[in-house]
This record gives sequence, C-alpha cells and structure tokens, in this order.
Amino acid sequence: MVIVMTDLPQTSRLLLIDDDQELGVMLSDYLATDRLHVTVCNSGEEGVESFAANDFDLLILDIMLPGMSGLEVLKQIRQRSQVPVIMLTARGDDIDRIIGLEFGADDYLPKPFNPRELLARIKAILRRAQPQDTDARHWKLGGIEVDTRTHRASVDGTPMRLTGTEFEILKSLLETPGDVVSKEQLSERALGRRLLPYDRSIDTHISNLRGKLERAGNKNETIQNQRGVGYLLIPGE
Amino acid sequence: MRSLLLRIFLSFWLIIVVTIGTAGVAGFLYAESMRDAIERFEIGDSMLGASTALESGGREGLKDWIEDNPTSRAITIFILDDRGHDILDRQVPFGLMRVFRRFREHRRPHRFDDREPRNLRRSRPHPQLVAADGSVYTFFVSPSRASHSVWTTADARWLLFSIALLVSGIVSYFLATAISGPVRKLRRATVALAGGDLVARVAESVGKRRDELGMLGRDFDSMAENLQRAATRQIELSRNISHELRSPLARMRVAVELAKQKHGDMPEFERLDNEAERLDALIGQILSYTKLDASPETDPEPIELADLIREVVENVNYECKAEGFNGVSVVAQIDASPVTLGHVDAMTSAIENIVRNAVHHSPPESEVKVHLSQDDQHVMIDVRDSGPGVDDEDLRRLFEPFFRTRQSEASKNARGTGLGLAIAERAVGVNGGALSARNHADGGLLVRITVPL
Repeated sequence: MVIVMTDLPQTSRLLLIDDDQELGVMLSDYLATDRLHVTVCNSGEEGVESFAANDFDLLILDIMLPGMSGLEVLKQIRQRSQVPVIMLTARGDDIDRIIGLEFGADDYLPKPFNPRELLARIKAILRRAQPQDTDARHWKLGGIEVDTRTHRASVDGTPMRLTGTEFEILKSLLETPGDVVSKEQLSERALGRRLLPYDRSIDTHISNLRGKLERAGNKNETIQNQRGVGYLLIPGE
Repeated sequence: MRSLLLRIFLSFWLIIVVTIGTAGVAGFLYAESMRDAIERFEIGDSMLGASTALESGGREGLKDWIEDNPTSRAITIFILDDRGHDILDRQVPFGLMRVFRRFREHRRPHRFDDREPRNLRRSRPHPQLVAADGSVYTFFVSPSRASHSVWTTADARWLLFSIALLVSGIVSYFLATAISGPVRKLRRATVALAGGDLVARVAESVGKRRDELGMLGRDFDSMAENLQRAATRQIELSRNISHELRSPLARMRVAVELAKQKHGDMPEFERLDNEAERLDALIGQILSYTKLDASPETDPEPIELADLIREVVENVNYECKAEGFNGVSVVAQIDASPVTLGHVDAMTSAIENIVRNAVHHSPPESEVKVHLSQDDQHVMIDVRDSGPGVDDEDLRRLFEPFFRTRQSEASKNARGTGLGLAIAERAVGVNGGALSARNHADGGLLVRITVPL
C-alpha cells in the first residue's frame, strides 16, 4: 500500500459533536489551517440532524454527551452511513471505548488529547478513505470478494456493510491468505497509526468483521488469532 | 409469630411444661394409686381375716388365706417370714427385700393395741402378724406385676419417654429451623455484600418475616441500599470531577497548539504541554484509584499471568525508550505458567504500576527484574529494582496514596503521581491477593504480589 505523505489534496468536511462549545471553536480554528473544515454541534440530536442534512468525510464524536449519548448517536449514524468515526473517550473508561468500537467507531482518542495526535489520526483516516486508483485491485478468496476500486466487499455476492477500517483489515488479510498479518501491520494499514500499549482496537474490529462475515453467509473461511503475533485468514477446504 | 423472643420463650416453656408436667402427673398418679391400695389394704378388714387364719391354721392357714383372699388388681401382697421368704415361695422383688431388711432392723420395738387381735402389729406401712411360735410375718404391698396400670409398666415408661422426646424434638426442630434458616440467608447476603456484590438483598427471603429476623433483614436491605447509593455516588462524583477537570485541560492543550501556530514553537509551549499531560495523568490515576474501591464491573475471568507479564514488560520497555530513562530496561523471568481467576484490567494495572515505579527509582543503565513463580497455593510476582531501597520505617507506608519516601524526596524525583503503588495495592486486593515490600539483601526494593491459585 502506498502511503501518501503529502498533505491532503482537497478540503475535507468534518463534523465534530462535542458539548464543550469553546473546545469546538478552538478545534475548528486549529484544524482549519490543514484545510479541514469543521462543523461543530453541541448535542447528539443536533449532530444526527446535521449529519443527515450534509455530507461529511469524517465524524469526531465525544462519547460523553449530555442528553442523547455518544453511543446512541453512533448507532443511529451507522444505520445509514459507513463514514469514518473517531470517538473521544474518557481516559481509562475501557467499557465506553470497547462498546464504541463494537458499535462501529473506527478509532478512539482519550480526552484530553494532544491536538497534534488528533490531527494525525484525522489525516491517516482521510488518506485511507481516498480512492487510490493506482492501487485498485480485486481480491477474492472462496466466497469473499473485495474490490478496492468500488470499495465494496461481499460474500457469495451478498454485499457487506463494512466500515473503512474493517474493509482495510479484510483487504490486508486477503492479500496473504494463510499468512499471519501482525497487529502492528494491521494498525498501520487500517488506522494509519502505531499500535499502542494495551491497544485492543484491532481485536475489536476483527471481532466485528467476523460477525459481519458470518451474517453475510460465510462459513468456510475463518479469521484466526495467532496469540501474541497477529491474525490470519484461513482459506476454506 | 410476631416476635422471635416470644417464639423462643414459648417453645422452651412448652417443652419444659410438657416434659415436667407429664413426668409429674405420671409420678403423682402412680403414687396415688399405690397409696390408695396400701391404705385400703391396711385399714380394711383383710388384716383381721389374716390374723384369724394364722391363729387357727398357722403358716398353712395363712397360705390358704392369701391364696383365697381377693386383692386389688393393682397390688400384690407378699407375706415374708423372718428370713425374708415369701410364704407362697414367690420371687420377692429386689427392692422389696431391701425395704424388708431395713424394716426388720428398725421396727423391732413392738407396739400393741388392746383392741386389735393380739398377734397383729399395726406397724405402718407394713403390718405384721406374730404366729404362736413367735415367728413374725410381715405384709408387703407391692405394685402388681400383672397390673396394666398405664403408669407402672416398663412399656409405659418408654412411651412416656418417647412422648417427651417427640414433643421436645419437634418443637426444638421448628425453633431451630425458624432461626437458622433466615440467619443462613442473611449470612449469605452479607458475604455477598462484603465481596462487593452491592445488589445483594434479602427482602424476598427474610424481609417478609414479621419477627426480629425480618426486621434485621429489612435493616440489612436498607444498609445495602445506602452502600450501593454511596458507591454509585462516588463513582459518579469522580467521573464528574474528572470530566470537569479534563474539559479545561483539553481546551488548554488546543490553546497551546493554536499559540504555536501563531507564534511559532517556543520551549515554554512544550513545557505547558508536558504539564498538561502530567495533570491529565494524575487525574487518570486518581480516577482509577477511586474506581478500584467500587466493585468490579465485570466478572472474574482466567488470566494467563505469564503472557500478561510479558506484555507489561514489553510496554514499559517501550515507554522507557520513548521517555528516555537513561537506559533502564525491564527483564522478565518466567518460572511458571499459572492461570488465575481475576480481573485482567486490575491485574495489568497492578503489575504495570509496580514495574513503572521500579523503573522510576532505578539508577541509569540498570535492570528491573520481574519474576513469576508459584508454589502449591500461591502465585508470586516479584519486581526488583537496583535503586536505593526504602527506609524500614517507610516500608509500612509505601502503599499510602501520595506517600513519598525520603529517598525520592532527596532525589527530587518528579516522575510518577504518587499513586502508582496505592493503585497497585488496591488492584491486587480486587484480585484477592496481597502486596508486600521489603529491601532485598543485595540492595534495591523488592515488591511482591501474592495471589491465591
């Protein structure tokens, strides 16, 4: 995979849902210099409404929202869109983080975060989400098919609704069926960042992916965990 | 029944009244029937008949008389001669013989009454007849063997005993179960509550009773309710505090970045950023410390300690390199592969905090050793540094929050939040283990986690 190190080519539109108004204003100022246009919503309801009315490239969602919770917002948005989501969690609150990832968030950042870290993650995910024509290929193993050009994945023709992260993980595993892909590699490719200590996000994405493959009717291929090393896709008999 | 006191009181009373009462009544009835028989015999005319029979027919006459003489069915009349033989050669009951001997010794002084036949001695309660040859016949009235009087047979005594046994047994059984059942349920709930199960209640089982145990049950429930509310409030409070403190912190960090964009990089900005990060770490530590006080949110699961230690060691080594700890490194020595039941997050945090603390107090280019071993009942995780160790009087207080040893004060060691070992101690406690610290003989501090297998 080619990692583009230059700046993002065009302006991207971000939706930030966070009840801290001042933080929202400051963040949109900060991110504006990198041609990231941020729309700020201060409540879950407002956020869902704004998301339905506009097109966004990425969503930054505070999990700790008053009123409609961040998890509820995530659930509603995931019902109709696979837009990349970075959630902001309370540091040390593992349960929120895990549930968030299970609900389909792509990545998380404990709050208060280093703004440079947030910027790096936004860029990594946006870069990944960009169509890369040079890299376009069609992967197939058993009934599982992945098309990087159309960004579609299916099992025996049944399309799967995968988040960008799940798509990248599946693609990475399909590239070398039967070979272990380390968690570090998966993190670099799917999230565009290093694997952190005690980082369970790849494991959660894998478990979501397994669920989706199964629901789409896949029975033969299995994603296996090689303890301490990584994951591999085992071709069916 | 309304009151346990009343129940216990009445039960014991019932048992005692029934047993003493029946025994007393039986004894009384027995004595009454005997006295009646004896008195009827003594006062009746039968003695006069016997007197005449002896006078006219001698011993044989007396024999004939007693054989012919009808007596009450409840009694048997024995007539003993001087040597204590029954004139009909009947087997004399042992008890009767004893009475006879005593009677013979003590009743020697004869008393005559002129109106009575000359050969009759009305010596109470055993009248005597004196034959012409001077031999004395003593009359004994004994409860009749053949008598079916309820109170005198051995069967009846067993029956009496059985009734007492049965009544007291049944009453005692109901009393015992009435007390021990609810007490056991209360105990189970108490153990559960103490073990951190804050929703343990007894309203369904004990709380419905109307006696003192029911009251105790309801008191237990309201106590548990308060505890649960307090625990929830505390978690909520620390969550809120951390949220409230972290919001300005988050804004501050964005403000620093905005300042950098406007004014360029300055060392002061870096400093601001670092301090914000430390403040954040401290809040995080306080939060995890308070959270460990509450009951764990998840059920215990099997933990492979060897894997966990390898992971922690790897991560702390990564931190050491990233944060520039002057070449301090952590090595793991795994001599066992135990699987214990516990809370992975708490266990990880315990080991991590101890190892990190050891790293913070290590001299440059030294090693921190993490050693996993086990015996029959315990798993031991030893973390040893090659630092200056800790004064003996400080060892005791090492696990107190924000406690700093003289050594760390002296070295102006600004790293760490002062909560690491306190968190470790609680986290080990959550996993049912214990934390201890001592100075190693070859220098350095040794902190040991002991968890049961």
